[in-house]
Order: sequence, then C-alpha cells, then structure tokens
Amino acid sequence: MQHSILWLFLILAGASIIVFTYVYLSSKKANQSDQGMNQPLKKRFWFLLILFVILGIFASVTIPKSPYYLFADETPARVLHVAAMQYAFILSNDAINPESPQGETDLVLPLNELIEFRVTSLDVNHGFAIYDANNQLIAQTQAMPGYVNRLRWKFTSPGKYNILCLEFCGMDHQGMRSSFTVK
Amino acid sequence: MESLKTRKITSVWIVIVLALFIVAIILGILMRLNQGTIIQQSPVTFYGNMTTHGLTMIGIWFVAGMAAVNYLMERYVKTSYGVNLFALICTIIGVLMLWSSTFIGHFHAGWTFLYPLPFKVAWAQWATPVFLSSLVVLGVGWLVWSVSLMSQILKKYTLSQAFAWQHFKKNPAVETPPFILITMVTLVGVIACLLAAVLLLVLLFAEYFSNGSFVNDAAAKNLTYFFGHTIANEMLYLGLAVIYELFAEVSGRPKWKTTWYVAVAWNLSLAFILTAFFHHLYMDFVQPEGLQIVGQLASYLASLPAAGVTVFSILVAVYRTKINWSLTNLLFFIGVAGWVIGGLGAVIDATISNNFVLHNTLWVPAHFHTYNAMGNVLFSLGFFHWFAHKFDVGFYIDKNAMLKLTLILFGGIGFLLAFYIGGADSIPRRYSNYPPEFTMAAPLATVAAVFATFYLLAILLFFLNITKNV
Repeated sequence: MQHSILWLFLILAGASIIVFTYVYLSSKKANQSDQGMNQPLKKRFWFLLILFVILGIFASVTIPKSPYYLFADETPARVLHVAAMQYAFILSNDAINPESPQGETDLVLPLNELIEFRVTSLDVNHGFAIYDANNQLIAQTQAMPGYVNRLRWKFTSPGKYNILCLEFCGMDHQGMRSSFTVK
Repeated sequence: MESLKTRKITSVWIVIVLALFIVAIILGILMRLNQGTIIQQSPVTFYGNMTTHGLTMIGIWFVAGMAAVNYLMERYVKTSYGVNLFALICTIIGVLMLWSSTFIGHFHAGWTFLYPLPFKVAWAQWATPVFLSSLVVLGVGWLVWSVSLMSQILKKYTLSQAFAWQHFKKNPAVETPPFILITMVTLVGVIACLLAAVLLLVLLFAEYFSNGSFVNDAAAKNLTYFFGHTIANEMLYLGLAVIYELFAEVSGRPKWKTTWYVAVAWNLSLAFILTAFFHHLYMDFVQPEGLQIVGQLASYLASLPAAGVTVFSILVAVYRTKINWSLTNLLFFIGVAGWVIGGLGAVIDATISNNFVLHNTLWVPAHFHTYNAMGNVLFSLGFFHWFAHKFDVGFYIDKNAMLKLTLILFGGIGFLLAFYIGGADSIPRRYSNYPPEFTMAAPLATVAAVFATFYLLAILLFFLNITKNV
C-alpha cells in the first residue's frame, strides 16, 4: 500500500512541477501586450469545484477504512494485552498488572482470526507498530499512559511479525522491539 | 515608512536566523550521517541534536516570518520598536537556554517534549527546568510581539475591517490590504497556540515542582500538538503575507487587492488550521472518533483556500504576464511550488487510513521538510534578498543567483526524495540507528546527507551575500 501512496504522490508532485514550469515559461515568453489568463475568476471557480469534488470522493472512500471501524462488528477470537515501557513491550494473554508487569515470550497467534491488541503504556508515550515479514508496516496504534487503545487485526499470512516503537520515547527508542509468530 | 532602527533590527534578525539555520542544518546532516553509519554518535548525542535541530528550526523560521511582517507592517501602521527588541532579546536568551539544556545538559526529549517524557530524567537534573524555561522565555517574547502587532493593527482598523469582513459585500467603503488580513488571521492562530503552550507549561511546571503526577496524558498530548501543529503552519502563513505584499511589487505589476474570495478564503483558513491538529492524534484510538474525522476533514478543507486562492493567484499573476524576474520573486514562486508539493504529502498523511501505515515513518519528516525547506525557507530567503538589496544604488545583478537556486533545488529534491522513499519503505523516523532488517535505511540516510550538503552550500552563499549587504 505504501508504495502505491508513493507513486500517487510522485505523480501529483510531478504534475505540480509541470504546471509551475509551464506557467513560468509562459511568463518568460510573454510580451508587454499579453493579458495573462482569460476569465481567471471562472477558471478559479472550476478549479475549486473540481478540487472540492475530488477531496470529497477521497474522504468518503477513505474515512470508512479508518482503523477505528476495522472489524468493529466482529468478536475477537483472541485478546492480547500489551504494556509498553522504556524500552520493552510486555505481551500477555492475561491482563497485565502495572505493579508487577509480566508477559509471555514466543507468542503464537492464529492465522485468519480476529485479534484484539489492548495497548497501554506504563511510563511515557510509545508506539505499537506491527511489521510483516517484508518489514512493511501493516498496522499501528499508540501506547499512552492511563489509556488503552484497542487495535483489531486479522493476519492473513503466516510468519514472524516484528513490533517496533514508533513514538520517540528516550535514548533506547530505536532498540525497543518485540515479535510474535502467526501460524 | 520604516525607521532606521527598524531597518537595523530587521538586519540583526536576518543575520541571526541565517547563522542559526546553518548550525541547525549541520546538526541535521550529522543526524543523517549517523543513521547512515558514516559517523558514530551516541543515541544521547543524536537525540539531543534532534531536539536542538527541531526547536531551533521552528523558532528561527517563525521569527524570520515575524521580522519580515514587522518590517513590512510599517507601511501601514506604526509598530513598537521596543517590543521588537524585546522579542529579539527573548529569542537570543531562549535559544542559549535551549542549547545549554541540550548540548551541556544532554536533554533529549524531542522538540515536542511529549508529556511525561521530560520528567523521565535521563540527563542532567537541571536540564528539564532549563529546557522548559527556555520555552517560557521564547513564548513570552513571541506572545508579547504578536499581541503588540495585533493591537497596532486594531488601532487603525476595526476588528471586522482587520478580518476584511466588509469585502464579503460588493464595493466596500474601506479596503483592507491583503497583508493586513493575512497577518491578522495568522496572529490569531499564533496567539491561540502560544496561549496553549503557556497552559501546557504551567501544568508541567506545577507537576515538576510539586513532584506530583496529575497531568492527564491525553490532554497534554492534545495541547502539545495544538501548539506544535499551529505554530508550524502559522509561520508559513507569515511567509505568505510577505508574498502577498511583495510579489507584485518586485515583479513590476499592480499591487494585489483583497477581493471577496480572498477575504472568505483567509477567514476560513483560520477555522481549518485551528482544528486540523487532530490529525496528529489519529493513532490514539481513545480520542473521540468525531474529532478524528474533524481532523481529516479540516486538513482536506484547509487545502481549498490555500490552493484555490493563494496558489491559483500566484499562477494567474505569472501566466502569460511580462514579469521582472529576480531572485526574490523566483524564490517566492518556487517556494509556492514547494509548499504545494509538501501540502500534497501532508494531505496524503492526513488521511486516516494512510496515516495507519505512514504515521511516524520517514513520510512525516518528508512532507514537513518539503513545505519548510522548499517552501517557507524560500519565502523568507526571498524577503531577505529583497531587503538586502532594496537600498542598493543602481541596478543590481546577483551573479550567484542561478548557482544558489540550482544548489537549493538539486540538494533539496535529493534530500527529500530519500525521506519519501524511506517513508514508503516503512522506515521509522527519529531512530538514531536503524535495525538491520531495514537494508535501505542507512544508504538512503547517507545519500540524503550528501544532497543536504548541496543545500547547505546554497545557504552559505545566501549568508555571505546577504550579510554583506544588510
């Protein structure tokens, strides 16, 4: 998905560069008698209307795909509790006691079943980002002290998934990670 | 017209901004070299530099916009030299305090100092209060400056005139210059976000000195991003005010006037810009969903007046029109293009379903570096160049103009592409060193550092040329 986004951006950026270059060159070639753009107010109106319609379509297509609505009507097959802390993730099938946080290692999650991650933090803000075997970011939420963010996801490919922290949390932020297996 | 004192203090602002910009760019290049494993910094040094780099950049381009607006404001209303000087002194003291907290005290909680990280002390004990105090000093100086500028505007124009509401009807009795309208709209946003920062800092100080733990994390996060997002955007608007004032003038064209659609657009911009900050909290699923949707819609809607009025107006002003092109209006024109392209990256990221896989990857620095390094910076450089040469006797030709532009474009585009490609590859932002599985991360960082060096060369040339003339 990210590479499609990059291509979309590059195409739009390229089109913008072409427009600005064309307009600049038209000025360089212009004579004193040239009158500039004909009916600019009308063109401005159409430009705005088209932009408004495009953005409206984009909003109506993308908002329903927001993570808050993902699998909202389904019941999770598994709940995984996540407590983030400087500089580790604690993952557990049971609720985590903040006084003596303990987790499980070598977690295995089921394929094609709905998992709900209940993510919180025991100290500062962290990120909880799931990367697939190709190191592509597939889902994320924030880990915020005092709150539990619920992230729902279905893994459709087996393999090892890494968890990285994506909110700057201190000097070992870059080393804060965990993993689980899906099969 | 402006006094000699205003001219001199504007020169001082320009020299300080350019000098600090060079330092901040060097810190950025060192960060990318470290990520590229070309040099080795400890994570503490890296994150300290990251904190310094971010806050210095935000600070200097905000004051650059303010100094330019203050200077040009003298065409319409008298401004307070004393307040301008006060803001300058506060900025110098604030930057020195900030740098001592990061360079000497090794404070490294990032320029967004997201609560409660500043209190999880992994640096000298004194560095946290000094860092927070540096923000107070900067904030007080800028708040007083903003309020003073606004009060001077309101001495000449009524509130409704300052917002150009009379232009909603045909043939208004009083004309509000676009420069006044944009400055007014911007100052409202600036004052609002600085007040949010004051509230946040009061809460943080109260907690620090009482040794308590009563600040709500979600409230602190909302306040932080309301402040950070708004100030980063308003400094761009200060640059746009300068363009509205100077583009036609330096191009040898009739001065731009406020029309009904310019008045409507800028009034709407204020509403959108103050509510778009929610897009920074998309990944906090406990935020009310309504606010998340407001974040996406406001971010989308903010692009309409920007594209439909400001960008379109620049294109109309140039298209098939004989213009006296100079480095100043070229920088303005290219800067608007950079602003548009950065805006495209921003709108893509402000789409919640995209943000789900882009948030806090390199896509984020990619888009904000685009509209800053290739947008806002060029707006201010355009003003600096115009200011430095407006008192020249005779016709002035900048022999290095094409070289500077080429270096900026070549260095800037290469440097930014490395960020965008890294974002599409899901490479995290704000990592001092990359995990080995991100095989492209280090090479991209190295390439970015090389391109950024070309950009730095252009800024050094600007520094030499401009400081010689101011």
